[in-house]
Amino acid sequence: MSAPSGTFQERVDKALGNAQLKVALERTTGNARRKRAAAVEAWPDFVAARAAAAAIKDHSIAHMAYYLEMFERNALASGAQVHWARDPDEACKIVVDICKAANARTVTRSKSMLGEEIGLPHALAGAGIRRVETDLAEHIIQLAGETPSHIIWPAAHRTREDVAKLFDEHHREKPTAHDVVSMVGSARKELREDFFAADVGISGANFLCADTGAICTITNEGNAELTTTPPRVHIVTAGIEKIVASTEHALQLTRLLVRSATGADLTQYTTFHCGPKRPGDLDGPDQFHIVLVDHGRTEMLTEMPEMLRCLRCGACLNHCVVYRAIGGHAYGGAYPGPMGSVLTPVFDGLEQTRDLPNACTLNGQCRQVCPVDIPLPTMLRHWREQSWRAGYEPKTLRAAIRLWAFFAARPRLYQLAQAVALPAMRLFAKGGWISSLPLASGWTAARDLPKPPGESFLTSIRKGGTP
Amino acid sequence: MSARNDIFAAIRKARPEVAAPTSIASEAQACSQAMKRTLPPLDASDLVGLFTARVSAEKVGATVERVARLTDLPGAVARYVATNALAPDFALQPDPRLQQLAWQDAPGAELRPGAPLRRDTALAVGLALGGIAETGSLIFHSGAEAPTLYGFLPLHHLVALDAQTLMPLLEDYAVFASGLPVPRNVNLVTGASGTTDIEGVLARGAHGPGNLHIVIFN
Ligand code: SF4
Repeated sequence: MSAPSGTFQERVDKALGNAQLKVALERTTGNARRKRAAAVEAWPDFVAARAAAAAIKDHSIAHMAYYLEMFERNALASGAQVHWARDPDEACKIVVDICKAANARTVTRSKSMLGEEIGLPHALAGAGIRRVETDLAEHIIQLAGETPSHIIWPAAHRTREDVAKLFDEHHREKPTAHDVVSMVGSARKELREDFFAADVGISGANFLCADTGAICTITNEGNAELTTTPPRVHIVTAGIEKIVASTEHALQLTRLLVRSATGADLTQYTTFHCGPKRPGDLDGPDQFHIVLVDHGRTEMLTEMPEMLRCLRCGACLNHCVVYRAIGGHAYGGAYPGPMGSVLTPVFDGLEQTRDLPNACTLNGQCRQVCPVDIPLPTMLRHWREQSWRAGYEPKTLRAAIRLWAFFAARPRLYQLAQAVALPAMRLFAKGGWISSLPLASGWTAARDLPKPPGESFLTSIRKGGTP
Repeated sequence: MSARNDIFAAIRKARPEVAAPTSIASEAQACSQAMKRTLPPLDASDLVGLFTARVSAEKVGATVERVARLTDLPGAVARYVATNALAPDFALQPDPRLQQLAWQDAPGAELRPGAPLRRDTALAVGLALGGIAETGSLIFHSGAEAPTLYGFLPLHHLVALDAQTLMPLLEDYAVFASGLPVPRNVNLVTGASGTTDIEGVLARGAHGPGNLHIVIFN
């Protein structure tokens, strides 16, 4: 598995030059946007629902210590073992130690973004433990030796033709045909044995329910339950911000999470896991471990508490003109798109990652579709200001400008980005000239940009006038 | 200091807890109520109709059949086996209410319940604890009479659902569950397994059942 390499600028250049990538991204995100739009239309009060969802998350964040203690108490009472980790190294060590204590040779894993965030795949490989990814998309990218490029569709960058090639090459029994259904069938066959050969199953969690001590997973393939039920040991890794007061709050948030992610009313499998096998149970793990990870979240309580609301639904990625142009790998972190550009500087440091908040058109689409109303553009601006203040910005032309060039060459996308970005750009204008446009930081540091006219060039031409 | 203590200290520094548990609880309650007020209206007078419409909608993709009572389940299973050209052996969820049914009397097929659940089981027959009309979800609580894997291993999952156990909303399930012991697994199952991982195109039967058939009885 290789993480994306090179500078942000190099990765952007590479992505923009990859026509195949654009096709794959548009197929997946286009489908997602259409389905989300239909689901939201069927909920007339969706705007109020978003505010209510934000309030539910804010409630658990405001009382985080209280609810985490309650969660821990209830989880322990169910027979679970609860572990705490300050950072990725601690978290990975806990997981690897549990695997070693269980003499684990093979672990199955169902998709978990936190696992990617803390580098769990690497840690398992380092410990000589065979890891089998069981989510279809994770399976695809494991075969390709890649990292996820989308938080809901990790293989969003791969076309069906790519998948056919990978399965032909790696599956013990090759797919009978190369249509999507046959290839899904082939993966089903391929992974079946592994579900039962695994010693340990590792999952993430969408919610930690304080009232019961249960963790909730929301999946669609059934691989999560096949990952967590047959092995002797189930390990959950979760960020502490996943805490919610109750099962009821978890379900209420799920309603918005799922609509925003896939447009469904509820994903196929909403499962609550509470402790190990009980007396009389015919299946279930003998040990149930929950590893709770901080990794910057307690700092976010002060710095950017709204970001702790994030449900990891992926809607902001699907609606981001930049993500749709460059895909997830260009971002270089576990989380791409607008939410990734906010989170990655928290995890990896702003100096290393300041290109991310700069690569944004500030068109505001991400906030509009966010089911918990996270002010993503405000937070990206916050990072830009921080970066300026810390003196991280160089004086040369950077990746952000190259992105502008990309959009300028594609009038329809450009317009979309412009329509909402223009009012924001004018805020930086003084006397007809922009002297410090954060997006074009490198550019404007060297020369002033003319202030945008009231309407964009293309809009006014369409209306029959001249700009 | 231990990681646990460090993390709690950091949280408490940023968010000193001043509220009493009772006021936190009423705040939590107010949050749920506020969300409920935003929900699209739902006609709770015909939960079976609502559930059926949801669950057979294309995006959920299950099939539904109505029978008079639970004793009609063997007949429904026989019809399902015939329609789908399945073998008459099937895995039966170890719930006494299912096990005592007159399987051998089902017309048209010599049904053989009680095959062990295996990784290549074609058909498993189960009984749901309840259903949620809003989403078209089946409720399972794991236990000796309801092992988790019955809902995940077979290619076909046929589930009996008592119409009396239908509830309108997810919130109603939360209230219902709060009166029961917390099981190891709660499985809310909404339609057959599916994936959109290849180009966003839906394909059924990714790892779980590719077909979900629900038999609603009174
Ligand atoms: S920031 Fe909002 S839209 Fe983006 S993944 Fe998180 S919850 Fe979804």
